[in-house]
Amino acid sequence: MDKVIEIRNLSLTYHSMQCETLAIDDISFDILKGEFVSIIGPSGCGKTTILSLISGLLKPSSGTVLIDGSTPNPRKPQCGYMFQKDNLLPWRNIEKNIFLGLEIQGKNTKENREKAMKLLNKYGLGEFKKKRPDELSGGMRQRVALIRTLALNPSILLLDEPFSALDYQTRLSVCDDVANIIKQEKKTAILVTHDLQEAISMSDKIFVLSSRPAKLKAVYVLKFDKNLKPFEKRNLPEAETLFNQLWGEIQNEKK
Amino acid sequence: MKKNNYSAEHKKFLTINRLKTSSIIILQIITLILFFVIWEVGAKTGFIDVFFFSSPSRIWDTLKQLYSTGELFMHAFITLKETLYAFALATGIGIALAIVLWLSEYLRKYLEPFIVTLNSLPKIALGPIIIIWMGVGSKAIITMAILIVVIVTTLNVLTAFLNTDKNLINLLKSLGANRFQIFFKVVLPASIPDLISTLKVNVGLSWIGSIMGEYLACKAGIGYLLIYGGQVFNLDLVMTSVVILCTLAAGMYFAVALLEKFIRKSRGQ
Repeated sequence: MDKVIEIRNLSLTYHSMQCETLAIDDISFDILKGEFVSIIGPSGCGKTTILSLISGLLKPSSGTVLIDGSTPNPRKPQCGYMFQKDNLLPWRNIEKNIFLGLEIQGKNTKENREKAMKLLNKYGLGEFKKKRPDELSGGMRQRVALIRTLALNPSILLLDEPFSALDYQTRLSVCDDVANIIKQEKKTAILVTHDLQEAISMSDKIFVLSSRPAKLKAVYVLKFDKNLKPFEKRNLPEAETLFNQLWGEIQNEKK
Repeated sequence: MKKNNYSAEHKKFLTINRLKTSSIIILQIITLILFFVIWEVGAKTGFIDVFFFSSPSRIWDTLKQLYSTGELFMHAFITLKETLYAFALATGIGIALAIVLWLSEYLRKYLEPFIVTLNSLPKIALGPIIIIWMGVGSKAIITMAILIVVIVTTLNVLTAFLNTDKNLINLLKSLGANRFQIFFKVVLPASIPDLISTLKVNVGLSWIGSIMGEYLACKAGIGYLLIYGGQVFNLDLVMTSVVILCTLAAGMYFAVALLEKFIRKSRGQ
């Protein structure tokens, strides 16, 4: 399969007037087309930093990031970014919110708007298009945020703890929905999360990072039945074994 | 949400709330009427000395007299014109400056001590300089009013811009937005409520500016009437000027409030 993301000897140092902090230390990995990869690790180890480097919002101190063979350009994003907060603009209705990316990238054509509306309808949010964000529940808002991201038709999705602000029940159902949408739209996805079960239930691969400075500590390849929903995977006995292994990895790091 | 379909409880809730709103308006009107009635009765019975306090009927007579000579509209129009010019120019310049300062952190830090000093300086102290440079007249008065309004506007609006939710700005960056897109799609719309409250504050400040200016240098205007009336101990004229000012300032404030209502409605709030 094709490599979509190639990362070679990636390092990043943060500078402030008080000190310099090595956040990412010589990390290399590849991500293949259509893969769902989760990145886990102790809090503050630099997981989000890796996403910022892949999206091009941060420049590496050394090493390279290649997306489809070229360096990411923050002005022409190839990746769609999903945040912990849905960040819907409260003064725009749902429809205008999902067109935001199209407006910014100068792709606000009738055709693209229709495609975005199709996605909204397909995933059951069409009837809310004229509503304000504050009239929707947290789970619905996060799904609208995903559709805003998909409206630009990115081949790669960067998910930065997108479910952590939701309550537990909503989280489980939105998690299923998002996994389903990503699979149907055939996207490559990288998920950063604190929730080990979430990583286990959604991913094809899990990367474990060490505590700061982050190194790639271990890679787990998951071999669950592809047709199972994330919620169903959570209940498998293998999932529990894997959970204990990952838990052990992260606990070791904290010492 | 259809009308008429409300439950009895909801109807009760609506009635109570409507009663509250209308009773407030009635109370406001009664207070105003009582104020003038007590003042007038006090003046008539000799309880209030009209030489120092004037009275509503004498104010009314003065208004009629000013109206018949054409002075009423002449003075009111001059001051109103100065105030509106100062309000529009100072608000415009202030917002423009805030945009420039928002765009460049370097410029912001470089200019900070100058702006803070200018802001703390009592602008009235610049009066003599303004008169020497601009001469006596509307130009000097408008300049004075602009100086009073502009720096505060810049500081308030800049603070609003800088307080924009960082998460929203990050979202725009992740979508590939440049600084102008970030400004027009997020920072400006997010600052609208603060911009409106700045407009409201500026109404008051512009009036302070124009009247201050007229105290310093003028041949006409409400400020001129006030000063003149004070100098010849004509309290009727002074009180009449204050009443005219109150009316004009309230009118301008309601215009801004109407604008706010319109903007809120168009944003669906």
